[in-house]
Amino acid sequence: MSQKPSVGIFICHCGGNISDTVDVARVKETIGTLDQVKVTETFEYLCSNPGQEMIKNAIKEKGLERVVVASCSPRMHLDTFRQVVKSAGLNPYLLEMVNIREQCSWVHDDKEKATNKTIALVRAAVQRALYLEPLTPEKLKVTESVLVIGGGIAGIYSALELADKGYQVYLVERNPSIGGHMAQLSKTFPTFDCSACILTPKMVSVAHHPNIKIFTNAEPILVRGFSGRFEVRIKVKPRYVDIQRCKACEECAKNCSVEKPSGFEEDLVQETAIHIPFKQAIPNASVIDKDYCLYLTDFLAILGPPGSRGVCGRCQKNCKSDAINFRQKDELIDLKVGAIIVSTGFSLMDSKLVGQYSFGFHPDIITNLQFERLMLQGLHKPSTGEVPKKVAFILCVGSRSEATDGYSSCCKIGCMTAIKDALLLDKAVPEAEPWIFYTDVRAYGKGYEEFYAKAREHLTTFVRGRAAEVIPNGNSLIVKAEDTLLGKQIEEQFDLVVLSPALIPNKDTKELADMLGIDLGPDGFFLEAHHKLRGVETKRKGIFVAGAALGPKDIRETTMESMAVASKVATFLGRGETSISPEVVYLIPERCDLCGTCVDQCPEKAITKGKNEVTINPISCNGCSICVPTCPKEALDLKNTTEEQMIAQIKGIAEGEGTALKIIAFIEKRTAYGSADLGGQSRRTYSPEIRIIRVPSVARLGIKHVLHAFAAGADGLIFVEGDDSTFKEDKVRERVILFKKDLGKFGIQPLRLQHSITTLPQYEKTLSLFDDFVERVKKMTPINKEKREELKKYLEGEKIVA
Amino acid sequence: MSHEKDKLSAEAKNIPQGERKESRKAFIKEVMKMPGGEKILECIQCGSCAGGCPTRFAMDYSPMQIIKMINLGMREEVLLSSTIWVCSTCYTCTTRCPREVNFTMLMMSLKNEAIRKNLVKDGVNAKFHKYFFEVINKYGRMYEPELFFKLLDKTDVYSLRHSASLGLRMLRKGKMPIKAPKIEQTPWVSKMLEKTDEKGV
Amino acid sequence: MKYAYYPGCSVKSTMKEYEESAKAISKVLELELVEIPDWNCCGSIDAIYSFKPLYAVALAARNLALAEKMQMDVTTLCSACYYALARTNKILKEAPGIKSKVDDALRNAGLTYNGGVRVRHFAEVLLSDTGLEKIKEKLKVPLTSLKVASYYGCFMVRPPNICNFDNAEHPKRLDELVETLGAAKVDYYGKTRCCGGSLDITDEEIMLKMSRAIFLSAKSAGANCMTTACTMCHLNLDAFQKNVESRFDIGIDLPVFHFTQLIGLAFGIEPKQLGLNRNCVSPKKVLSSTVAQP
Repeated sequence: MSQKPSVGIFICHCGGNISDTVDVARVKETIGTLDQVKVTETFEYLCSNPGQEMIKNAIKEKGLERVVVASCSPRMHLDTFRQVVKSAGLNPYLLEMVNIREQCSWVHDDKEKATNKTIALVRAAVQRALYLEPLTPEKLKVTESVLVIGGGIAGIYSALELADKGYQVYLVERNPSIGGHMAQLSKTFPTFDCSACILTPKMVSVAHHPNIKIFTNAEPILVRGFSGRFEVRIKVKPRYVDIQRCKACEECAKNCSVEKPSGFEEDLVQETAIHIPFKQAIPNASVIDKDYCLYLTDFLAILGPPGSRGVCGRCQKNCKSDAINFRQKDELIDLKVGAIIVSTGFSLMDSKLVGQYSFGFHPDIITNLQFERLMLQGLHKPSTGEVPKKVAFILCVGSRSEATDGYSSCCKIGCMTAIKDALLLDKAVPEAEPWIFYTDVRAYGKGYEEFYAKAREHLTTFVRGRAAEVIPNGNSLIVKAEDTLLGKQIEEQFDLVVLSPALIPNKDTKELADMLGIDLGPDGFFLEAHHKLRGVETKRKGIFVAGAALGPKDIRETTMESMAVASKVATFLGRGETSISPEVVYLIPERCDLCGTCVDQCPEKAITKGKNEVTINPISCNGCSICVPTCPKEALDLKNTTEEQMIAQIKGIAEGEGTALKIIAFIEKRTAYGSADLGGQSRRTYSPEIRIIRVPSVARLGIKHVLHAFAAGADGLIFVEGDDSTFKEDKVRERVILFKKDLGKFGIQPLRLQHSITTLPQYEKTLSLFDDFVERVKKMTPINKEKREELKKYLEGEKIVA
Repeated sequence: MSHEKDKLSAEAKNIPQGERKESRKAFIKEVMKMPGGEKILECIQCGSCAGGCPTRFAMDYSPMQIIKMINLGMREEVLLSSTIWVCSTCYTCTTRCPREVNFTMLMMSLKNEAIRKNLVKDGVNAKFHKYFFEVINKYGRMYEPELFFKLLDKTDVYSLRHSASLGLRMLRKGKMPIKAPKIEQTPWVSKMLEKTDEKGV
Repeated sequence: MKYAYYPGCSVKSTMKEYEESAKAISKVLELELVEIPDWNCCGSIDAIYSFKPLYAVALAARNLALAEKMQMDVTTLCSACYYALARTNKILKEAPGIKSKVDDALRNAGLTYNGGVRVRHFAEVLLSDTGLEKIKEKLKVPLTSLKVASYYGCFMVRPPNICNFDNAEHPKRLDELVETLGAAKVDYYGKTRCCGGSLDITDEEIMLKMSRAIFLSAKSAGANCMTTACTMCHLNLDAFQKNVESRFDIGIDLPVFHFTQLIGLAFGIEPKQLGLNRNCVSPKKVLSSTVAQP
């Protein structure tokens, strides 16, 4: 492509929004004299039909090869004008937009300065446009299947939704049955639906659905590939029972001589080493706990037939379906999926860590989950078997705590569970006396306040005060607390004490997050891409999270999130193909020396180094360009923000006369740029010395660009990055410090470089920074011409490494 | 209850609105600078401290209420409360506080503040600390008889009757020191006082 | 093994027998307690601290400065002194303003303290360094007649970031020691409940109520004696026991041993050497005939 393409420039009046401040006629006149400019037009509303027609005709009639539109923010109309250009037969990436409204006419009062700034911005755009290249977004077929990790209510629901939409779903669950914690509950609040009754039909649907394949006793161990085309390896651990043959007759369990505490029954009841996880388990088949099975724990016995060495094997001998197989091994299965949903749920904190409640020192001090099981076993005191009448429910055990073993979040379901349990107790036991010790009653959801009222109607005793101690006293328990509303200490004796432990992330959450390449939040649960707008997505395209894996929540919120995530996945996979932005990093192979520095930089793991070459996966690359300046050989570049394009743009802005001072602000294209636009929409004026260059990320910038800027005439540089960028604050700071050091070596005051991180609404912070910076640079001794010449020579002569 | 408390509360009630807010902020700021006061704004008023406090029954305000009162800027009520004097510094509250408020340390700091501001009730409490200090400063170690007789001077024997009976018991068992202790460098001990002295009572 | 021994004021007067028994068993266990020369009052946890905080910290620091010269871990018998000394390191580390004033004060007293002297309760030294196995070896007379309610008090276990001899809510190390000595341990509520030691003089009534709760709990759990590891706790539970009885018109009659006295008895050491005649509540009734009578 020749560097001498013909350029057409179109300047919008925007009905006065621009032209009232910027002298568009002068701009047209000045720009029209530039090299390669064939057409310069101004128009009232370029985005209108006649405006668009004008551009189209100019392209066709004058054979324009590049188009520059100076108007509102590209965040408004980039796609509009790209369509215009495309319909005139020109590649849409040969269009350059200049923001002279939100970032110029709306924020400056001085007409002369605004016009000069516009001229500089448009000139820079023209010079960049000369280096633009045609690009085509790639279309890629996606794998139309989904992996759901975690078979609790969240996983089950999203699996059903997606399977009904026609997708193949693989549901992977680490326990021997799906169902999760919801399968352990008795009734749900506030409707008193029987938990198993609303869950098990869904579990059965999952089992019978032609589009869902369930893997139990299984976990993912390796995730490769990229969004739309993941490759996941699953490890299925042996259950020593053939699911196809097992009839769930339980003859095996009847003959097993080993007993162990039942996980499903929360250690309240014993079960045999071989057992069906629970009555409605799916798959409905037995499983052997290998840590307790006599046969499996005698490693020599495993080598011989059952019964040899006198060791057990009775289950196998009594199984009429020949379903027991002690020789089962780990199975590795490779799956190809287009999207992954993480729905791994939560764990309960170990109440022993809050020692004041003496959990573990008396059998009648239990957790709320254990209470659920007791309700279904027939409510009784674990110690004596008697029916408990006076029961204390202690809330906030480990939640809302900044202490070492505590958890800072609220568990969200503690209050409602206690109220529900109090009402159930009231119904089940005549003369029951439930007491709830609370700090704040959180009854925030639909029907919850009314539920709370019901508990009061049933004369549940509420004590406002987090219980201080539980003291075992023979077969009873004493609870000490301060009734903070009455202002006095109380001591009451109870038959049973039920604790509400904090809901915490599963132990290996970090491991799974690392495997998937997604983040955890400060609370240790998976982190969503945006708190409100992207609540079930993660930082990686194609990987979603739903349910308690994101943080404590109730069942209603969980099913809502499951439906949301199914919708998002369907959108993602829906068209059967995905469009990949062409604005990706590419390799210049002749410069590459295979040092491999770039490989670890990539947050999407898009760069791989083979024996003879480095490959960049254009589909995984998200264009953040963190890798580009780190290449010691400058062998990497970014499409549509290439080195040549950037340097041309920088020179275009910094050269020429105009305001006494020129400050270039490099702004990250989504959040930070959006913030500056917001400032413009709010008409917040700031110094016209600021000229903004939009970059994919501040990570794109190397020392080379910094030096070019000063050489060309800039007096100060500001980097602004969005807070949700993959290039985090500490990395930004690191780079800036290095650049400052280098500036010092060249005799330029390091304080001429500044950086900031912003959120979208924080425009005030950024724009005040602009103003302050301009004031400070004004006071500095100006960079003299000789220094700039020196820099220019240096840049021409040597290859500079970032 | 001494009339100082009533007098000061009345004055506090006459402070105009704007000043009250400033005085509230000022008191909170002061307390946050005291050892133990760093995290008082973290308190969620759960009441665990009050529930487990072994001397709560003798306090006019519970530990939780004291923090609430600090938050409301009720300087005089806090410093004149019996709470800060009755606290046995057992650390039960601090150990159990979910927000990591070091309430025990705060009690000691508030005692100190009450002494400095001369907001102490008449009685044995503040005197005890002063006399304890005086004995240590004189001898470098405790000399129980002198402490006891100092206290006796300002208090009636009846309220010290159990301590008195204890003293006699100790005497009988040969565990009451007759001679005052002497450390080699007693003058050095009080030289340290010069360098650390703040305006006490 | 040698340790810099900080006695604290009480063991030289009202708690003489605690030091006597500690020295006696140290001999048997081949531990040497080297008294810190010219030690002073620990500064107290609250008594002086509330009145003159900087001075209190300086007092504690002086002892540590003296110990630093000896280049040994500091060990003490009194839990309150233990906490007062142990927290000093933390205070000096975290509050540079206080550190500089304390350094000035020490300099004025001709001393410097560089931080880093480890302070350990004697019980912890015995159980961690010497170990239950070695104690078992020296066992001559199992104390089978004793049903011991071990009283830990406040400062062995709280605050947990400094005093971490055992779990703050459910400690058991002293109970393990008791069992090693052949006695029966008693589980009761109140092991770590404050006895009111710091209120002995200023609020006698309150202190008596607090001690009473502990006695009643230990008694109803079947204890026939108690053991302590702190001078203040022992004073309240032993010396003030009669006062509790008379004030509330109840009978308690629970002899209170220093844990060092229990070990000494199990080692077969003469009761007089252990100062058993100095305990206010006589232990005669609970010591079986196999154990030498005081």
